[in-house]
Amino acid sequence: MDSIAIHGLRKSFRKDLPPAVDLREDVSISKGELFGIIGPDGAGKTTLFRMLATLISPDAGSAVLEGLDIVRDYRKIRTLIGYMPGRFSLYPDLTVRENLEFFASVFGKDVGSNYALIGNIYCRLKPFEDRKAGNLSGGMKQKLALCCSLIHSPAVLFLDEPTTGVDPSSRRELWENLAQLKASGMTIVVSTAYMDEADRCDRVAMMKAGRFLTVDSPAAIVRSFDRPLLAVRSDDMFRLLHDLRAMEEVEKCYTFGDTHHVTLKPGADADAAAIASRLEPNHSGLEAGPVQATLEDCYMNLEEK
Amino acid sequence: MSSFGYLFIKEFKQFAANPFMPVVLVLLPVLLMLVVPLAANMEVRDVRLAVVDRDRSALSGQLVDRISSSGYFVLVSGGDSYEEAIGKLGRGQADIVFEIPRGLERAVGRGENAEVYIAANAVNSTKGTIGGGYLSSIVMEFSSEIVSAGHRSAISPLDIVPQFRYNPGLEYKLFMVPALMIVVIVLVGGFFPTLSIVSEKESGTIEQINVSPVRKRDFILSKVVFYGLLGIFAFTLAILIAHFVYGLAAHGGMPEIYVSAMIFLVFMGGFGLIISNYSETMLQAVFLMLFFVLIFMLMSGIFTPVSSMETWSQYVTYMLPTRYFVNILRAVCLKGSHFTDLAFDFVMLSVFAVVINIIAIVTYRKQN
Repeated sequence: MDSIAIHGLRKSFRKDLPPAVDLREDVSISKGELFGIIGPDGAGKTTLFRMLATLISPDAGSAVLEGLDIVRDYRKIRTLIGYMPGRFSLYPDLTVRENLEFFASVFGKDVGSNYALIGNIYCRLKPFEDRKAGNLSGGMKQKLALCCSLIHSPAVLFLDEPTTGVDPSSRRELWENLAQLKASGMTIVVSTAYMDEADRCDRVAMMKAGRFLTVDSPAAIVRSFDRPLLAVRSDDMFRLLHDLRAMEEVEKCYTFGDTHHVTLKPGADADAAAIASRLEPNHSGLEAGPVQATLEDCYMNLEEK
Repeated sequence: MSSFGYLFIKEFKQFAANPFMPVVLVLLPVLLMLVVPLAANMEVRDVRLAVVDRDRSALSGQLVDRISSSGYFVLVSGGDSYEEAIGKLGRGQADIVFEIPRGLERAVGRGENAEVYIAANAVNSTKGTIGGGYLSSIVMEFSSEIVSAGHRSAISPLDIVPQFRYNPGLEYKLFMVPALMIVVIVLVGGFFPTLSIVSEKESGTIEQINVSPVRKRDFILSKVVFYGLLGIFAFTLAILIAHFVYGLAAHGGMPEIYVSAMIFLVFMGGFGLIISNYSETMLQAVFLMLFFVLIFMLMSGIFTPVSSMETWSQYVTYMLPTRYFVNILRAVCLKGSHFTDLAFDFVMLSVFAVVINIIAIVTYRKQN
């Protein structure tokens, strides 16, 4: 059964601007799925989340969450979902414990009844229980926010960029927690800017300018990448980037770790060896070769699709 | 527990956890009530009176004695001529010039009418007019005593005996203190809930409440009730100070005062809510609130009487709930009025409270 079914959704904030979200196709997310949304800033991820979380209503289109319409049944939906906004939005002047108890009571629950669900996460916060939430570190704040959005045992969890500004080990922990929640049957929709995180999702939607460009599993998205992709490096990486971008066969060139990834224009009559030989006179230590595409390469080449 | 219950507890915890707000809540009424009436005193005392006594008789001496013993005036030497005294007035060394003409005693003795001259500097209009008023009433009193003492008079002098009811000493403090009690309630009941809601907007916590099943009614009510109680607390402090420091007795009794204060707090709560509905930031909310609060304070008879306003602005005051509240407080504190005397004001105040809260709830939209 589908946990979330989107039948096209549109929302504009100003008439003179293109809509912030403009989904034209149907998307369904099944129960217990970990669904990732990746896209650049301003792609409309947060607006989409806010519509699904019943905070704003769409201009057109509809969506059904757990069999409930997001506009008509918003009150019932609110008891079923957990929403963790990208910004820390708990009460900074209340303590960790007070925040948790407050949000539990908001949903008519007490902390004890769903403690099992958050126990793994909350145990890390236990030593800071009496500290004001505003004085926690970034990672701790995220953990608390996650606890507060889980305390009523929601059927669907929305996480808007949960790992932005969080250290790598906390990020890892968060994703382990999400994997456990998913195993318990919770539907999780998460937006992220980190490609390694997108790889952990069952399916990923690549979003740009309010639209889903692809919706598929990370592996399938990578498989469908059909361009020649080269990795190039030399001793002067900055000048190399400039030179590569000046070549007319090169469609796109961007830094990727310690190399530059280059995609070639369709039908361009060049390969790694040809590119290398043309750069050779000006660059020392030049290496060039074809590489396997990753999710990030797919993301960087989004607009060409 | 009902959702109102835990929202209310949350408000309390937040307020108590703040090291600053509880202090403000106590200091605001205390300082306002203690300092302002002493500093901003509009009572006219120590009017500098330049006396030009050209009669230099026993009678004129008595009159000058009477004036100086009234306590309102400080005598400064006026010199020998009216011109010299007017010069002092011009230089700001005197506020009022009082001239007793030559031959006063003789004229009075013959039963003729005599005239004395009063010239008041009206730059400070209150001092000039009220001081002049005091002076003429002293002279009147004096002249009627002369008549009753057996001096024959052709025309019996017109006797004006002003009696200042409800505030016999014309003490400005008694006028001012109920006004300050209103200021306390406007500040606590208006600003506190507004800023509390806008701060939830700024910190994003309102989003978290909005994605929960909490009803907007309960969320608003928890704030209006909590800050309403704080308003009552601050107001009670103000009443205690009014009673024990200024001796202001609530002749009409406490029920009238508290019922009107509660209705007014409900109004302020709803009003603050409307402001917060249209404000995204604290700065915006503070400026909007300040604008309206100033209008409430300056235009509804809190500091200046409504009856001395322009006619059109007198009509405007009917649209300001503070007008009714200030009426009630003054009437109860000074005149000892009861509910029945103030029915109109109570009804109007309630109408405002209900209407503003309906608008507040309509404009507070949980869903865009």
